[in-house]
Amino acid sequence: MAEKGQVDIEHLGGVIRLREEHEKVVKDCESRIQHWKKVSGDYEALNDRLKTLPDQLSYDIMVPFGPLAFMPGKLVHTNEVTVLLGDNWFTKCSAKQAQKIVDHRMKYVKNELDGLSKTIKNFEARVGFAKNLETISASKGDYVDIREEVGNNDSVVTKGKQRMAHKPNSKPKQDVFFDFKEEDEENEEESRDSGSRKCIMTEEELWARLDELEKLEELQDEQDKYVKILFCFCMRINNPALSLFFFKVRCFGFFPFRLSDNGDMNGEDTSSSSSEEEKDADAATPVNGLSLKPGWSALPSSTAPLRQDRKEEEDFEEEEEANCLPTIYFSHTVEPKKVRINTGKNTTLKFSERKEQKEHSKRKKKNGHSNGHAHHELHKITTPADLYRLFVDVKNGEPIPRKSILKSRSRENSVCSDTSESSAADFEERRIMGRSFSHDEATHSDTSDGITEEDSPTAVLLQPPSRFEAFSGTVIEKDPMPSAVPHLTISPPALPTILEKKQEEVAPDVAPPQQAPKRVSKFKAARLQQK
Amino acid sequence: MAEAIQKKLKVEVEKYAQMQKEVSKSMSARQKLETQLTENNIVKEELDLLDCSNTVYKLIGPVLVKQDLDEAKATVAKRLEYINGEIQRYETLLKDMEKKSEQHREVLSSLQQEFQKAQGLAVGKV
Repeated sequence: MAEKGQVDIEHLGGVIRLREEHEKVVKDCESRIQHWKKVSGDYEALNDRLKTLPDQLSYDIMVPFGPLAFMPGKLVHTNEVTVLLGDNWFTKCSAKQAQKIVDHRMKYVKNELDGLSKTIKNFEARVGFAKNLETISASKGDYVDIREEVGNNDSVVTKGKQRMAHKPNSKPKQDVFFDFKEEDEENEEESRDSGSRKCIMTEEELWARLDELEKLEELQDEQDKYVKILFCFCMRINNPALSLFFFKVRCFGFFPFRLSDNGDMNGEDTSSSSSEEEKDADAATPVNGLSLKPGWSALPSSTAPLRQDRKEEEDFEEEEEANCLPTIYFSHTVEPKKVRINTGKNTTLKFSERKEQKEHSKRKKKNGHSNGHAHHELHKITTPADLYRLFVDVKNGEPIPRKSILKSRSRENSVCSDTSESSAADFEERRIMGRSFSHDEATHSDTSDGITEEDSPTAVLLQPPSRFEAFSGTVIEKDPMPSAVPHLTISPPALPTILEKKQEEVAPDVAPPQQAPKRVSKFKAARLQQK
Repeated sequence: MAEAIQKKLKVEVEKYAQMQKEVSKSMSARQKLETQLTENNIVKEELDLLDCSNTVYKLIGPVLVKQDLDEAKATVAKRLEYINGEIQRYETLLKDMEKKSEQHREVLSSLQQEFQKAQGLAVGKV
């Protein structure tokens, strides 16, 4: 720090000196300009004199004798002027010719003046810049130095991972640079090896990253408490429209990296992609004690900003400078992914995956909440399958699964919602049941159960059920969701009809893959037939 | 040991100062030549503008001596060439001087380092 301070002081001194030098130049230019202006004035006067001189043949004047005496005399040969050309050369010429010479010289003086004025402008600007620099280095002004340490290899890795090719043996984009230097064949081999090596590396790093993230979660315990308080506060509100809805969402969006099973990637995907998005979000926002990150902005509570400010305060405090310049060290901290989901009536659902996981892990640990384990097991959503399980309207005897979970329950009364084949009777039943159910659920609401009070998600960032493979019960997930596996095993018996549906979906899904390999181009088919 | 180095250092410093003076001299001479060059250029232009009717005088001491226009033009042209030649000569001279001064500077710096080392050793010894 002392070194930095010294450097800054030296820098400051240099800047001051620079500014002084610039100012000197400016002054010099000014003096020169003054000189040339005087010369120009003199020439103008001379010009006037030359114009009037030939008017008379002779003038009566007082001729100066030395510095103190004058003598009356006459000015004759008024048209003859002896002109100094320079370097001790003279010429006799008429007044008009002299005028021409004077004009000539005036041009020269004007050129000089223009050049000088340009330089003075330049240097004045430079002086201004030097002054600014001075204020910056002296930290007098409002300038703040924002520095970001790029020591985090994870971010680089993950971003590099993103750029990896889909197939393990194809050339990763990073190796493109080598193309220019080496032969293509060698290149491909190298890239293959490096690609596979890289793939393996990144997996390990992913594991490490997950561990890190878990640790981060643990560290954010206190902050989460605040959020929990918020949740329970909202849960108490019976109006489903206002309460918050927690929803587990998997975003497989822009993560192309698939080496192993989908199952392996699931957990990794979310964590890394979420971290990706967080980083992107972080990069976008200015680090400012007052500004909220985008995901939090609409949260109607004070807890989020609390958490936010705390974090940023921490950042700010840790890195607050002993520099002369206030420095903010910007770091891409891992933030929980916030997804805002627009449900039916003016509700925005805030989803925090990290919080979810945390709460899950907490619940697992504590293993005893006021409401039943089964209850919130049931309500725990880790896959879209859970959604289907959850959005079951009636739980009298059998849970009747909903045909479409995209319709909000609050709008069940509306005609538009239901496109299912269910009869009107069913619809009414469901309506009634739904109402009662919601009422019951509201009363049962529970602090720890941060999840679905609401069965009213309208728009949900889910994988459509057609992609059955991704969400089958055979998903082998890593931490942070180990509960998912036992969880899923419980679910199937509870969803007879939905399972049927799924089976139906599976069947058609299976059929196309079977058909796909069998598909053959027309021409080939024709040829085969011919054969 | 340190004293010997100190003496050497002094000698070198003096040499360097000498070199610097010479450099500055040649610099100023060159600047003079430059002004003369510009002036003579103006005179040449003016003379070209004049026609035969005007008489040309040259100031030699307190005397204005009549000159022929063509003669004057020739004289001025010759002077110009002379000035240009002088300028080039001075330029080459300046370059050489700068090189020499650089060498001197290097020698000086190395001597300084030695001196510092010696001083450090002396301090250590003490």
